[in-house]
Amino acid sequence: MARQQTPPVIGRRELFRSMVAGSLLMPGVLAELFASEQPQVEDPLSPKQPHFPAKAKRVIFVFSNGGVSHMDSFDYKPKLFQADGKMLGVGGGLSDQPRKLLKPLWDYKPGGECGTLVSDLFPYLRKQMDDICLIKSMHGNDNEHYNATLGMHTGSFFFSRPSIGSWISYGLGTSNQNLPSFIALAPQMPYAGTQIFNNDFLPAYHQGVRVIGGAEPIADLNRRTTTADLQELELGLADVLNNRHLSQRGHDSDLSARVRSFETAFHMQSDAPEAFDVAAETDQTLAMYGLDRGQNEGFGWQCLVARRLAERGVRFIELVDGSSSHNWDQHSNMPEHAQHAKVIDQPLAGLLQDLKDRGMLHDTLLVWTTEFGRTPGVDGDNGRGHHSACFSSWMAGGGVKGGISFGSTDEIGATVAEDGVHVHDFHATILHLLGIDHTRLTYRHAGRDYRLTDVHGRVVHQILA
Amino acid sequence: MLFTPCFRNSFTTTGALLLSIFVSKYTRGDEAVSFFRGLNLNGPAVLIDGNRWEGGTAESYRCDDRQFENQNIALHPVTDRDRAAMIRSSRYGGNRVELLNVPPGEYSILLYVWEDNDTETYSVALNSETVLERHESGIRGHWDRLGPWTIQVGQEATIVVTSKGGTANFSGIEVWRGNYDGQSRPITEEELAFFEKRIRPLLADKCYECHSADADDVQGELLVDSRDTLRRGGTKGPAVVLGDVEQSLLVEAVSYENDEMQMPPDQKLSDTEIDDLKRWILMGAPDPRSTVTKYAGKQIDVDQAREFWSLQPIQNVVIPQVHDLAWPLNAVDRFVLASMEQHSLAPATDADKRALLRRATYDLIGLPPTPAEVDAFLADDSQDAYAKVVERLLGSPRYGERWGRHWLDVVRYADTAGDNSDYPIPQMHRYRDWVISAFNRDLPYDEFVRDQLAGDLRGGNTEAERRDRLIATGYLANSRRFGSRVVDYPQHLTIEDTIDNLGRSFLGLTLSCARCHDHKFDPITNRDYYGLYGIFHSTRYPWPGIELDKKQRDFVPLVEPESVQDAERKLRERLAEQQRLAEAVKTLKESLKKANPETKPAVEQELKKAEQQARAHRELPPPFETAYAVAESKTTEDVAIQLKGDPARPGDVVPRRFLTVLGGQQLTDPHASGRLQLAEWLLADDNPLPARVMVNRIWQHHFGNGLVPTPNNFGRQGKLPTHPELLDYLADRFRAEGWSIKAMHRTIMLSRTYRQSSLRDSQSVLQDPENQWLAGYPRRRLDAEAIRDTLLAVSKDLDLSKAGAHPFPPEHAWDFTQHKPFKATYPSQHRSIYLMTQRIQRHPFLAIFDGADPSTSIGSRMTSTTPLQALYFLNDPLVHDQASRLASRVLSEADQFSDRVQLAYELLFSRLPTDEEQHALEQFIAQARILLQAEGLSSHGLEDQAWQACIRSLVRLNEFVYLD
Repeated sequence: MARQQTPPVIGRRELFRSMVAGSLLMPGVLAELFASEQPQVEDPLSPKQPHFPAKAKRVIFVFSNGGVSHMDSFDYKPKLFQADGKMLGVGGGLSDQPRKLLKPLWDYKPGGECGTLVSDLFPYLRKQMDDICLIKSMHGNDNEHYNATLGMHTGSFFFSRPSIGSWISYGLGTSNQNLPSFIALAPQMPYAGTQIFNNDFLPAYHQGVRVIGGAEPIADLNRRTTTADLQELELGLADVLNNRHLSQRGHDSDLSARVRSFETAFHMQSDAPEAFDVAAETDQTLAMYGLDRGQNEGFGWQCLVARRLAERGVRFIELVDGSSSHNWDQHSNMPEHAQHAKVIDQPLAGLLQDLKDRGMLHDTLLVWTTEFGRTPGVDGDNGRGHHSACFSSWMAGGGVKGGISFGSTDEIGATVAEDGVHVHDFHATILHLLGIDHTRLTYRHAGRDYRLTDVHGRVVHQILA
Repeated sequence: MLFTPCFRNSFTTTGALLLSIFVSKYTRGDEAVSFFRGLNLNGPAVLIDGNRWEGGTAESYRCDDRQFENQNIALHPVTDRDRAAMIRSSRYGGNRVELLNVPPGEYSILLYVWEDNDTETYSVALNSETVLERHESGIRGHWDRLGPWTIQVGQEATIVVTSKGGTANFSGIEVWRGNYDGQSRPITEEELAFFEKRIRPLLADKCYECHSADADDVQGELLVDSRDTLRRGGTKGPAVVLGDVEQSLLVEAVSYENDEMQMPPDQKLSDTEIDDLKRWILMGAPDPRSTVTKYAGKQIDVDQAREFWSLQPIQNVVIPQVHDLAWPLNAVDRFVLASMEQHSLAPATDADKRALLRRATYDLIGLPPTPAEVDAFLADDSQDAYAKVVERLLGSPRYGERWGRHWLDVVRYADTAGDNSDYPIPQMHRYRDWVISAFNRDLPYDEFVRDQLAGDLRGGNTEAERRDRLIATGYLANSRRFGSRVVDYPQHLTIEDTIDNLGRSFLGLTLSCARCHDHKFDPITNRDYYGLYGIFHSTRYPWPGIELDKKQRDFVPLVEPESVQDAERKLRERLAEQQRLAEAVKTLKESLKKANPETKPAVEQELKKAEQQARAHRELPPPFETAYAVAESKTTEDVAIQLKGDPARPGDVVPRRFLTVLGGQQLTDPHASGRLQLAEWLLADDNPLPARVMVNRIWQHHFGNGLVPTPNNFGRQGKLPTHPELLDYLADRFRAEGWSIKAMHRTIMLSRTYRQSSLRDSQSVLQDPENQWLAGYPRRRLDAEAIRDTLLAVSKDLDLSKAGAHPFPPEHAWDFTQHKPFKATYPSQHRSIYLMTQRIQRHPFLAIFDGADPSTSIGSRMTSTTPLQALYFLNDPLVHDQASRLASRVLSEADQFSDRVQLAYELLFSRLPTDEEQHALEQFIAQARILLQAEGLSSHGLEDQAWQACIRSLVRLNEFVYLD
């Protein structure tokens, strides 16, 4: 299979100089500029060594808003099909009122050679279960969207803390300095808003950069001067004057870092739109993601852009499916799950296949999760309530075993039966795959060392390849 | 054989045999007393006093009463988690419980009741015979275990419990065989002998070291030295479950089944010892140790703890001797120079007048000096020219806007509540304005502290002062709100936020570490924490609205004191009326559904009218202004420790008091919340922290770093002061000068240390790369607010008028949920301190430029340099707009090219351009004109556009955003 070449990353300094040299200014000043070598500044985002050899180099983290029903998607519960309408007792991590059980609305069929059962909500993903490590015993601490979403992203269910992407950026840096280390493809706002990709107390370099798609996918990315030449001219003048200022002040690394940041920004103006532009993709590729030519939004576009960003060395890419107001939160109408599944099933399967075809799956960790599952008992007329006591998530590539299904719930999907994976464990495992010991990735803030996993978390060794 | 229903035994045959000998069979006279059953009438199976109770779905009983549950109400008295959950889920209406299939015999009945709202009076009957007359249910949250009442059951095999009169909440029923006294179960002689011989010595020998009141440091909150504490258990749950070996954590721990809980840790007990424990539990763990033990908490050796530098009294320091006598201008300089000399460093030269003026102006008012101010300063040759500048700046109303912002960072100011829907708080700006005004009028810092903690209790010499002080408690009110729920509303997290902030802001201590356990590093205990917690538990916080309860309440009316009650009543009536109107609409909507074609038009008409009325009432302007402020709570009380920070797991009640290490003063008036006293404890002469912490903050905002580089943490995890004696000199002086912040600015700014140039010689840079010895002024970047304010100011677009309230939508239109949270950014030409700040959504500009994170106390901001900041300067509309307006200003105010360059330089950099720079800009403009002309721009717009490009270039310069 032909492999697309990853675009070469040109040294920024060189390009910037050629740009300045090519366009303007008096030779005297230029000569002076080039004669003085810049002091080396350590880039806070330069790649860092993990604690131990990593299986995964980057993460694509897909988050489905609203709470995807586990018993209707990945967690087959034959008893629940039979028990439809029976009363369910109070308690047991379910709900505070007795409810009638509601049978799942979709049939299950085995997928791949492993034969993992997946419901008809996800026919595309079902075909790829041999590459997927399904976790059926996820559980969290909170039954509210906001808090569960915050927990899934930061390990904290109430307080604002750095997002997992920020922690990973802080721990590993990134390999492409012309793009941010952490990009959140979030056309709409998820629950808990910007907090889910916020750096919080970590340095701002690690803030998730939100991409909304459309004409200006990142704030202030589009050149606002009428021509590129004019902007280059402006930058050239600033560069000359900045260097003079710098040379009068000895070697101040803060000042030189700021000069460099303009070079990076200059390149982001061209590199980032190129990464977000899927025009160069073949028809065949677009079809895998269920995309029409010319389409530059929608979940298929997010998935394809995620692959392009992964190719370009972005460390952590988050894809937000849905928003806080339009999502999988089917309190009274479970059939609506079908339309939400249709949005993500083919693109996600396409992304997985595409990563595999391009030989990227082995070192790219693809994660799919939601904030919680849904109750086995009915809510409203024909829906399900929030259920953090158990739910399903999956991972693929990047050092996890494919074709397995880990952990289980009781016979109606009400509680974890064995091998529970708490949100903290989930995080610890993701960090482990990236070569990070979750107990050692710390940041001193307000008098103590903080961690993504707080004082919890266990690596789920059973799912590691 | 006598098996009680609750003892589910899965132990060995031997165990079962033993059971028949010992378990629960004992005599008092001739009657056997044993636990028969417990019923949690509306909830799951629970463990009460070591006995297993059945849940509401159990068999052999009947109750058709309605179910009610509110786990959110605090119970009086406080009790353990299972019991509390059982009590708060109850049944009411009808009030009839029938226990069925009861074998004939004598039984004792106990009934758990509670009150969820207003006091009710009712009587209780057993099998139609009244056993209790006129019982009063008590205040909201009060509960009782009524009985025991003894009853003979015959062939009817039924016990019926009923109540008459007011509405009773039946939570649970406890039934014992025989004549039970409702107290502890008496112990037989054999049991006692077994306990004394086999169990007590074992526990004392193997467990007490870490699990008794005498332990040095009790582990897992578990005390095994009394019956109640053993059964209540520690952080992991009950240690023994009567008769249930499998569920007893004690057995799990000693049998080494669980890798993470193996007790005793050094050596496993012998098989005989383990068997003894199992036998004992099967007997029902008979235990004569009825006196509840209490662990007094880790004892702090106060004297030893106060040896830590920050807790030592403020020293009366001697101003040090220095070699270079010519350099120092004041005492500050002597301290700084002495440190330099110790490190073989020499001061930098004095800053030139332009740099000094730019520095002082930004420092005090957050804006650049105007060209006229620069000229005036340059022209003033008098000795005190600079002192006059400092005085002018301290007198500027812009000063409070700058320094107030520093304080707002520390108190994590926000205009929204922080709950999942982030409800707006339109009244919050009053506190912001109070802070600004407090700085402007140099309100002494001790008063500043008192007002924020207890302003509502201080009254005032004038009505204006009284209101100001009320508003100041917005500091407490502004504590973060959490969640979306009304049931299980996490008020404890809000109080946690208060205590966390109070500790960091005023004391430089991280108190919240002591919420779950004694502080690991600092001398602050779990008990200290809950001593403070009781104070804020006894404080009424205003309710800003939340998804499921949207209306503001408990805001403080800004009316004359004598009208407050009246005003509060009006507010309540208004809310009630609003509810009534809403109900009426709802009822009419229901009737409309049922209406027939004939009646329909009339109902529709009525509904329309009712809706109009409801809307009109909703949209009525509030009858008076209110403040987001606190008040004393109706119930002021001490609270129980929350084990591991979990409010559902109460430990001992601790009295309201101050931190042990800072004096441990205890509240004398139980009817007060204790805030007023807290302010005084905090400001007591022998507490060195408030003065040290505040002078350090002032120093920090003049030099970029504090003398203690961790301004919010003066504990062991914080950093040591670089100049401890200088810190004490300043702290002492601060108090001696009546806690005047402006006096402190003068002391610092008039020093020669402050007036040094930022150009350091290479030896100094090499030797002291962090510049902690201050041999030169530390260069620093402008903060987010200064950048934005300057961009607006230089083009004359900064609106300096009073900013006032934010344009929030009116309260009646609020419908925010976690699905559609409140989210807005309001355009403004005012200074950045007036930008609307959301607790959980960062303002886009402030987020990019390291603005304060409004979700936590920020003692010092980070200064990051990111490509997103560069993108902002490259492409943001604000930069382009302001550049274009500044270009117009430059073009209209100066005619000659060189004058224009000079004006731009004076406005942006407070200095004159060099010839070289004049030349470079000239070339640039020429080049730009060529480029623009090539684009087809007419010559008319050329000059404007070229200058706009030039200004854009200049505002991107390091010189623009860095302060020398």
